[in-house]
Amino acid sequence: MISNFISMNGYGLYIWLSFSIVFISCAVVYFKTKKTLKKYEQEFLVELQTLTLEERNKVLENSKVVQKILATSSKAN
Amino acid sequence: MFKLFSSTNIYFLIQKLTKFINSIFFLILLIGLTFALILSPPDYLQGDVVRIMYVHVPSAWIGLGCFSLITILSVLNFIFKIKYFYFINKSIAPIGLLFTCLAIVTGSLWGHPTWGTWWAWDARLTSMLILMLFYIFYILTFKLLNKEDLIIKVSSVIAIIGSINLPIIKYSVEWWTTLHQPASIKISGSSSIHSEMMLPLMVMLLVFLLYAALIFLMKYKTEIIRIKKKNIKRG
Repeated sequence: MISNFISMNGYGLYIWLSFSIVFISCAVVYFKTKKTLKKYEQEFLVELQTLTLEERNKVLENSKVVQKILATSSKAN
Repeated sequence: MFKLFSSTNIYFLIQKLTKFINSIFFLILLIGLTFALILSPPDYLQGDVVRIMYVHVPSAWIGLGCFSLITILSVLNFIFKIKYFYFINKSIAPIGLLFTCLAIVTGSLWGHPTWGTWWAWDARLTSMLILMLFYIFYILTFKLLNKEDLIIKVSSVIAIIGSINLPIIKYSVEWWTTLHQPASIKISGSSSIHSEMMLPLMVMLLVFLLYAALIFLMKYKTEIIRIKKKNIKRG
């Protein structure tokens, strides 16, 4: 039964190759996108650290998004 | 209404949506794969090779859908000058390219056992290849050009010209004699696909849509962070 499932009546190579290509490509794109996002978050935080305390507080006051990025990053660390 | 697209609103929505998609994605994927590979019946003519349809068709639909959306948003951006549409398009384009490439590759893998060839310069296949080229040109404008205004203009022109190809893809199987079979699923009129195959196809479409949404949200979030970083630099 398992060998029938794997061979798919002689079309196994085409079917498994199609599904594998789709899922491997999707996984690669997912991890690459996630890595880029993390990289930008880190770069953003480094940029924020270069500011003076006063400037940083001003940025944090004005932007909820920045507050959120900072909160997410603290959680991750 | 356009305030909905502001970075703050979108950023918070992205956080929630990403969590939601992550929580349900693998369950729906498991259901989809069980239907596609085990429960759905083989085709009376093609046999088990028809199972490639469950990855090929949703990929092609998403590839076409993404380009349609890019065209609509490009036109709206021309009219209303909403910068966020540009960022949405920039985030959608790689997803569309990925799924168009997957549709071409899986189509080739489906074509070999059914038509006896990996590739033919048939109207449907060629028009899908042209769509892929339009995606590549579109993405290249973001990589090669520096000025944002110029990028918006050039990419919008590419999107609008490329949209001419969309009805050609759709109707190529009716206008010309092609190796590719005519559409089995119709929005208006009755579909010729059996419900036992339609259900897995719809579940797999949902899986692909959720995946596309997840990638889009991550890419859009990256764009928002990029804007914020630029604003900090400007002081």
